[in-house]
Amino acid sequence: MAETGYESDDPRVILETLVDRSGAITTLLITKEGTTVAEAGQTDYLNTTAMAALVAGMFSATREVARMVGERQFSILLQQGESRHIHISLIGDSEMMVVVFEDYQRIGRVRHEARRAGEGLAKAQADRNDNQQVAQDLSVPEFKEYALNLIDRIFADR
Amino acid sequence: MPHISYQNREIAFKLVYYGPGMSGKTTNLIQIHKSLPKDLRGEMLNLDTEEERTLFFDFFPLELGNVEGYAVRFNMYTVPGQVYYEASRRLILQGADGVVFVADSQPQRFDENLESFHSMSENLRDFGIDFERYPLALQYNKRDCVDPIPIGSLEKELGLNGVPVVEAVANQGTGVMETIRNLSRDVVQRFQL
Ligand SMILES: Nc1nc2c(ncn2[C@@H]2O[C@H](COP(=O)(O)OP(=O)(O)O)[C@@H](O)[C@H]2O)c(=O)[nH]1
Ligand SMILES: [Mg+2]
Repeated sequence: MAETGYESDDPRVILETLVDRSGAITTLLITKEGTTVAEAGQTDYLNTTAMAALVAGMFSATREVARMVGERQFSILLQQGESRHIHISLIGDSEMMVVVFEDYQRIGRVRHEARRAGEGLAKAQADRNDNQQVAQDLSVPEFKEYALNLIDRIFADR
Repeated sequence: MPHISYQNREIAFKLVYYGPGMSGKTTNLIQIHKSLPKDLRGEMLNLDTEEERTLFFDFFPLELGNVEGYAVRFNMYTVPGQVYYEASRRLILQGADGVVFVADSQPQRFDENLESFHSMSENLRDFGIDFERYPLALQYNKRDCVDPIPIGSLEKELGLNGVPVVEAVANQGTGVMETIRNLSRDVVQRFQL
């Protein structure tokens, strides 16, 4: 495969490249459960946690709509606003990439870069085995003991 | 399976409050949110209001703390109760690591509880979840109502065994923390890599 510049196993690096090349304001990689995996560009204006939860909900709803018309899913969602627009694409089976951009004239560029970044992310996703890597530096019994302690403390009766 | 990120050193569990409309799911979440220290809780999104009928859920992220170098987070969701939101209930349930079922103790709501429970268990089974070994906590809410249904009556009807049960008056905060404690302990105890 030809080099696209999106070869990295770090999603953040890929998102940063995407911001540079597309002129997007913000990019996020989120899971379909609604958690943020990585972000790049400006994020201070945005509640990214809430954004991730909402986009995941929106994408799921769209998938149901897709089924109604006999599609498995729509792989791209585009939301056009007055001055800001959002391009959302599916990465593999479990993640979504969100691109926030301002200049709608640049939609072609955004699409093109998003597609290539998406390929890089899908590959990074396939190569990643988080559970195995985490298992190497986390002892599950100790994890549980600490976590249970935190639970008892944080969810104490008040 | 929680969402695990090696890169971000983060483990995120998804916990969902399920139950019939008006049983007190949002109230549970609001009470928990209110009682947490500010540095542990993210902003709460309430999307299940009169004006926002088109949106689907309440949500807030809770930072449990750092365990062995990993940030542990609980993402807390409620589902909408209205019948016509079946599709979004399903979607919110997807990927959930555990569920609190909030039952309404008012006797006239008995059948709605059963119906809602069945739709939940069917959805979970569709996701390939072995329901017998899935973290579930049962809350009998609205114990302050007139002539509340007896504890045990839902389990009996639903054939449930060994599910932790809590009596609650969620709008007064009673039983809310005990319920989430039961569920999150169960979720963590079943955690594996
Ligand atoms: N009397 C009484 N009212 C409650 C209790 N818990 C919640 N409520 C009220 O029941 C209504 C519905 O609660 P809500 O949390 O919005 O229900 P949801 O549809 O399950 O999210 C609200 O007016 C709550 O204040 C309770 O334990 N007792
Ligand atoms: Mg509600």
